[in-house]
Amino acid sequence: MEITVSQAQGRVPVTIFGIQGDIDVTSYEQLQALAKQSAEAGTQHLILDLSAVPYVSSAGIRAINTIFNLLRRNAPNESDEAVRRGLRDGTFKSAHLKLLNPSPRVVEVLSIAGIDMLVEIHKDLNTAVAAF
Amino acid sequence: MAATLRIAAEVSNLAAIRRFVGQAAASLGVPARIVEGLELAVDELAMNIIQHGYRNQPGEIEIEVQGGGEAVVICLRDEAGPFDPTQQPDPDITLPLEERPIGGLGIFLARQQVDAMSYRRTSADRNELTLTKTLNNSSVQEPSEVTQHEHDQ
Repeated sequence: MEITVSQAQGRVPVTIFGIQGDIDVTSYEQLQALAKQSAEAGTQHLILDLSAVPYVSSAGIRAINTIFNLLRRNAPNESDEAVRRGLRDGTFKSAHLKLLNPSPRVVEVLSIAGIDMLVEIHKDLNTAVAAF
Repeated sequence: MAATLRIAAEVSNLAAIRRFVGQAAASLGVPARIVEGLELAVDELAMNIIQHGYRNQPGEIEIEVQGGGEAVVICLRDEAGPFDPTQQPDPDITLPLEERPIGGLGIFLARQQVDAMSYRRTSADRNELTLTKTLNNSSVQEPSEVTQHEHDQ
């Protein structure tokens, strides 16, 4: 797996991880580590560009979930209770993490695992950047 | 028709296992969307054998893919201690992902891709996991290795 990091400016600065390759048990830690490093360096808004990701396994789901939590802030609207209530009402999506252009195969796995309940999925980069 | 792969139980071999399952299923004429699901199912279950069966110690996994017109059947066999993934409870998907134990997710994803999953401990002290995916007759494509010449006959 290779990850290309780039930046975009919307209402807020956005970091984009262009991921190439499978996100599976051999690569998910690399993705998590880069996200942690990026968050520690100040990234608050992250897009995972999945356009060139042919395959995501449960390990990839785990990585995306870990990154979701990594970027969550200790704010009232992102508390455990707020997330739980928002998920129940269908009104919660992460304010810090978006997914871009996953293949139908990857969307299916995201959906079975429930990641699509937490994180918006966009087809277009500009729309994704503007969604923060 | 059947194809069999015997390979070291190592996470670095999971991509090769996926490729084998994909090629074997495609050669049986299984539609691409179902092939992708079978690759995922075997990947997750092989991962479980490596982590929970062999506990990351050296071992081997045998994968057999067979099928006819109505179903594709995949057997995973290993010589690790008894481990029955069919007894693992599904994660409660009515809970937010946050509150679900993440460990059961791989087996859950695998279950979603097949119609049946059964386990037995064989008399030779092997684990044998059998996955069955039923195919609609209309969804079966011509096997990719069938040549035009054979069509003509």
